[in-house]
Amino acid sequence: MIEFLAKKLDWLDVQYWFYIFNDLSLFYIIVPFFALELIRYAYLKRLDKDLVLDSIANVVTFGAFFLIEIILGILAITKVYYWVYNNISLPHLELNWATLICCVLLADFAYYWEHRTMHRIGIGWATHTVHHSSPHFNMSVAYRFGPLDAIMPIVFSLPIVMLGFDPILVLLSEVFVQVFQTLLHTEIIGKLTKPVEFIFNTPSHHRVHHGSNRQYWDKNYAGILIIWDRMLGTFEPEKEKVVYGISQPINSVNPIVVFFHGITRFVKKLRQIKGFSNKLLAFVKPPDWMPKP
Amino acid sequence: MKNSTLVFRSLGIIIFLTGLAHLFSFGVSAGGDFPTSVTETDQETIQHPEATKPAENLDSNTQSGKETDYIIDKWKVVYNTDEYKGAIVYAIKKEGTVFNAYTYQYEDENGYTEKAEGTKILTITSFNASKGKGIYSVAFEGEKYKIDCKIALVDENTFTLSYDYYGYTDVETWKRQ
Repeated sequence: MIEFLAKKLDWLDVQYWFYIFNDLSLFYIIVPFFALELIRYAYLKRLDKDLVLDSIANVVTFGAFFLIEIILGILAITKVYYWVYNNISLPHLELNWATLICCVLLADFAYYWEHRTMHRIGIGWATHTVHHSSPHFNMSVAYRFGPLDAIMPIVFSLPIVMLGFDPILVLLSEVFVQVFQTLLHTEIIGKLTKPVEFIFNTPSHHRVHHGSNRQYWDKNYAGILIIWDRMLGTFEPEKEKVVYGISQPINSVNPIVVFFHGITRFVKKLRQIKGFSNKLLAFVKPPDWMPKP
Repeated sequence: MKNSTLVFRSLGIIIFLTGLAHLFSFGVSAGGDFPTSVTETDQETIQHPEATKPAENLDSNTQSGKETDYIIDKWKVVYNTDEYKGAIVYAIKKEGTVFNAYTYQYEDENGYTEKAEGTKILTITSFNASKGKGIYSVAFEGEKYKIDCKIALVDENTFTLSYDYYGYTDVETWKRQ
C-alpha cells in the first residue's frame, strides 16, 4: 500500500485522467443528465417558459464567468502561482498517488473555506448570490456564476501551491472539485446509502445548501467531502422540503440582471452606509451586516 | 463553534494532508524504477573528473550527497529547432533531496539576453555524480509534458540529457555557464 502510494506517476497519465473527468464529463454525464431532468420536468408538468429561460440565463452567466476565469486563470497560473511556487513554497513535491490524493483533498478543503467565505462576507455574497438566485435546481444551475466568482478560488488555492504542490496539479484538482460539485445539482437523485451520505457531499446535502428555508441558510459548503461540514459545524441534513432561491428573489430571467444583481444590490447597500470605514467594513462583514445607527 | 476551534481543526487537517504528501514524496521510496531521492549508491559510479568550481566539495567532503553538488550551477543549452532558436541558461538548485533546474536566462540567435521567469523545467530524482534520472518538462505543439529523462556526465563542464517518449526522442547538451 505504501509503495503504491509512493509510486511515481506520469504527468501525461494524470492530465489524461483529469481530462476524462474534468473536461469530457460535460458530454457523458452532465448534458445527458440535464436532458433527463428536462424530461422529468415535462413529465411533472413543470417544464415552462420560466424554467427554460432560467436555464438559458444560467448558461449565459457561465459564458461571462468563463471569460473572466480564463483571463484570471492565465494570469494566476503563469505569473502568481509559478512565482509563489518558485520563491516561497515548501520543497516541491513529486507526482505520486499520495501527493495526487492529498492535493485533491486539500483543494476540496480550500473549496470548503472559499465557499464559506463567499457566503459570509459582503463582497463574497454579492457575487455568489447569483449562483443561489435561481428558484430551480438542476444541472444548469451549477453553471450560474457571478462576476467575481473566479477570484476567491485563486486566493484560497495559493496556499496549496505554497505547500509544495505543482500549480498545474492544484488547478486540475480545483476543477475536479468543481465538476464533482456540478453533478450534485439535481432533484432526480434522492438520498444515497448512509455511509456515502456520511462521508461525501451528495445531491441531498447540496439541495439543503441551495435552500432558502431559514434552517438551511449557510449550511453544507462542501465540495466532495461533507465531513468538512460535519467537522466545522455547518452540516444540516435534508429534512424539510427545500425551497430553492434566496430570501429576496430577483424574479428575472434576464442574464444581465441575473449576472449583476448581487453587485447592484451591494452598491445600493454601500450608498446607504455612512462613513468610509463602514463602507469598507461592509466588504468583509457578513452580508446582512449594517452599522449601528 | 468557536473561532479558535475552527482554526485548530483547519490547521490540523492542512498539516496532516501536507505532511502525508511530503512524507510520501521525500520520506518513502517507491523502489523499482523510480528512486525518489538523490543517492550515490550505484556500484557503477564513474569517477567524474574533478570539477574546478565545486572542488572543495569533492575533496573535503565524503558525506552522502555532497559529491553530487557540483551540479549546482548555471548550465547553458543551445536549441536549434523550428520552435526555438537560441540558448537557454538553467539554474540547478538543490531542494530537499532532489535537484531542480529553473529557467534563468534566454539568449536569442543574435546574443541578446533576457531574464527568464524561473520556471521549473527539470527535477533530477536520482543522481550518482555521473548518471542520473529525472523528470523533464517538454513543450510540444503548445502542450507541456512532463517526461522521464536520463542524465549522463560527459566531462566536468558538460552533461547530456536524453529522453525517449513514445518515439519523440532528443539529446540535449548542457554546458556549464
